[in-house]
Amino acid sequence: MSDNDYVVQMKGITKVYPNGIAANQGVDFNVMRGEIHALMGENGAGKSTLMKMLFGLEQPTEGEIIVNGEKVSLSSPTVAISKGIGMVHQHFMLVPSLTVAENMVLGMEPKQGNKLFINYKKAVEITEEFSKRYNLFVDPHAKVRDIPVGMKQKVEILKALVRGAKILILDEPTAVLTTQETEELFKELIHLKEQGYTLIFISHKLNEIKQITDRLTIMRGGKSMGVHETADISKEEISRLMVGRDVVLTVEKEQAQPTDVVLSVHNMEYTNEWNKKMLDKLSFDVRKGEILGIAGVEGNGQRELVDMLFNLNIPDGGSAKVNGKNILGRPQREIRDMGVTLIPEDRMTFGIAGAGTIEENLMSDRAASKKYNKGILFNLNAMHEDSDQLIKDYRVLCKSRKQQVGMLSGGNIQKVVVAREFSSDPVLIIADQPTRGIDVGATEFIRKKLVELSREGAAVLLVSADLNEVMELSDSLIIMYNGKIAAYFEDTAVLNDTIMGEYMLGLKQQSIEEIGGVIHGE
Amino acid sequence: MENKRQNMFEIFRGFVAIAIAILVAFILILICADDPGKALECLLIKPIISNGALNTKSIFTILARMTPVIFTGLAVCVMFSANQFNLGGEGAVMLGGFIAALIGIYIPMVSGVHIIVAVLAGTIFGGLVMIVPAVIKVKLKASEMVCSLMMNYVIMFIILHFLNNKFADRSKGATQSYPFLKTALISTMIPGTELSWGFVIAIIATVIVAIFMYRTRWGYSIRMIGINESFSKYSGMKVGGIIVLSQVIGGMLSGMGGAIEMLGRNKTFVWLDLPGYGWTGITVAILAKNNPAMIPFAALFISYLNRGCDLMSIYAGVPAEMIDIIQAVIFLFFAAEHFLSGTRQKIVVKDAKEELQKKELATSGEGGQA
Repeated sequence: MSDNDYVVQMKGITKVYPNGIAANQGVDFNVMRGEIHALMGENGAGKSTLMKMLFGLEQPTEGEIIVNGEKVSLSSPTVAISKGIGMVHQHFMLVPSLTVAENMVLGMEPKQGNKLFINYKKAVEITEEFSKRYNLFVDPHAKVRDIPVGMKQKVEILKALVRGAKILILDEPTAVLTTQETEELFKELIHLKEQGYTLIFISHKLNEIKQITDRLTIMRGGKSMGVHETADISKEEISRLMVGRDVVLTVEKEQAQPTDVVLSVHNMEYTNEWNKKMLDKLSFDVRKGEILGIAGVEGNGQRELVDMLFNLNIPDGGSAKVNGKNILGRPQREIRDMGVTLIPEDRMTFGIAGAGTIEENLMSDRAASKKYNKGILFNLNAMHEDSDQLIKDYRVLCKSRKQQVGMLSGGNIQKVVVAREFSSDPVLIIADQPTRGIDVGATEFIRKKLVELSREGAAVLLVSADLNEVMELSDSLIIMYNGKIAAYFEDTAVLNDTIMGEYMLGLKQQSIEEIGGVIHGE
Repeated sequence: MENKRQNMFEIFRGFVAIAIAILVAFILILICADDPGKALECLLIKPIISNGALNTKSIFTILARMTPVIFTGLAVCVMFSANQFNLGGEGAVMLGGFIAALIGIYIPMVSGVHIIVAVLAGTIFGGLVMIVPAVIKVKLKASEMVCSLMMNYVIMFIILHFLNNKFADRSKGATQSYPFLKTALISTMIPGTELSWGFVIAIIATVIVAIFMYRTRWGYSIRMIGINESFSKYSGMKVGGIIVLSQVIGGMLSGMGGAIEMLGRNKTFVWLDLPGYGWTGITVAILAKNNPAMIPFAALFISYLNRGCDLMSIYAGVPAEMIDIIQAVIFLFFAAEHFLSGTRQKIVVKDAKEELQKKELATSGEGGQA
């Protein structure tokens, strides 16, 4: 195969972001003319970073990009478009208040003879012409805010085509579509392929990949795990390559002695604003003294579940009780008073007030309590004493309690969050991605604390996309897929990456009886 | 003590902003004054020294003018701390002054009690009126900025309506109310000056607000909500209630300022327009960086400039509007986050590097011992 067959060649691409995260490390990525090429990998594997560089949104730290045999420097999307590269983003980049035709010509509007006004008729003509040529039906006069998601996507694709794209990057195009819309999209994509277009298809849905792609590249942890002919690789092999474990940190823990049910979630349902079912009759129990892990590829309902349990959202149906008392829709104060604490996934938004001091952040859930107030005034001595103790116990590296939290490193910020959430004698700890993006030392410390608290009698619900973490820490584990429980394992010792991967990617599904094991109450 | 260098820089940044504002003023004075030398003397020196001696009368005038601005500055300080850009101080001041005036005119009481009742009534009405934008914000998510801004004019015209049609003293040529009863007048601290005991109340209010903001659970909640509302909600604070509270407190402080100003420096109700203290309060709060303890100093600065501009317009023919220009420029540079941000970045980087070096030294020291 000569180099001329490749329409895009990315060689030895390394990307280091200003915050020091190496999102891509020496990645090679080649796409042949006229193929549908899948780029696969879990969230955070570096797919998006790689594609952003191909579309000129980011510049590589090292490595070169060759398009149509010519070495290029893609300094901006404008340059990328001029090289025939187009991108359809996962979140549509359309102006809702304008019509389809107006969106289509945005930035390259055909003008009237006087060069002042937009030639709207011409815009409609262009839209209709492209729409017909590529079998992508859209209504040129409809306002974008009024059209369904499937049509918006077509507008996005047409927009790229109108701008002369020969290589189309589709970022998880089916994530927002219904099954029927997906089928339709696939027909259109195959039609485009037949006309000589090259498509790069980002996804982690195995069935879709198998259905329409010719070749695939798998990424994991910022590195390429190789290129394969889609026909020659099994789904199981893909899943193994996508979700393997790299390093194993072990945490020693005694056998759990779970007792009463603390958290009981029953038939919880939620459909999001894009009409996608995020939680589908979800039921499970968490008992005192155990860590129940929730594994799964991100976006399969884990975030929604946690939001419901802390009243950051309201489900469409179902119930959630802590020690028999409803927590859905209750004020956070009340939920916290029941002994529920949360390590939020988004620590900068929910976990801390960045411009506040460490002390102010440690006290946020208890500042109104009797212990820290004398009449109407704060009991500053008690506050200082306890803050200093927490800083010491949780080994927060800082100059003093008066330091701004926002100035600390990620790991130390998380220690502040954890110190607060773990020190309120919790009955139930919800830990959502508790160690994401923090250093090894802090990770180990937080994991040990979590195990320690569960052995002292707290119920722990651990949501994590980190396989290593969820397998090491959990006593029993459920895997979520498409808002449902795909599998329940009472004992995590039997698990390995392959089994996990198959359930996480929807290749396998346990029976209702097997899943029912996660309900311990009556 | 933490980030000492960065704190010093913030103060430096403030002085640069003020210096630039005064420089702009200089340029304008050079352009429009017949005698720029004299104009500058009026602006900078004459407020405190005239004819080679301390101008005590002028100094007391400056202090007297600080009084309402301290109150509105504190009000803005509390509201902005909760990240509530309520601009209704202006209306609350006018309403507070009006209510105090009515009580001062029509409800006879024993001296002493009269002042307290009138001022408290002004305070309460100032607080009540702020419930409107606050509740609309919390319940309907409408911008408190727009609501409160519009409300100022609603309040003003309602007051003018009543003043013109019900309470005007028809025996006078100008529109004004009947005179306040003697028992309602806040007496001057030093006879022959404008400085009333209201100034002392303003200083006491400053202390109370500073304690409230930094030593109580409500002030703490206000500040945390101002920094990060999502975090506060997640932590279990009653976010909606605190947002309303912050604006009601702002309204009460403004109302009290209006009442004290009205009874301390006037004999009849004479405001036919929004008095302007609410706006100045915003400049003052920004100068003080929303720190209640700094409000009197910021108020002193603005009041000094105000006096200087007055003197310029009297003795040097420079338009009195100069004060607005100076305020606007200060405002601009203080509010501009990126003003001198390059220098700040360098300081942050330098701090970080030193920190790293220290750490390295510490760890190598430990390594040596081990």
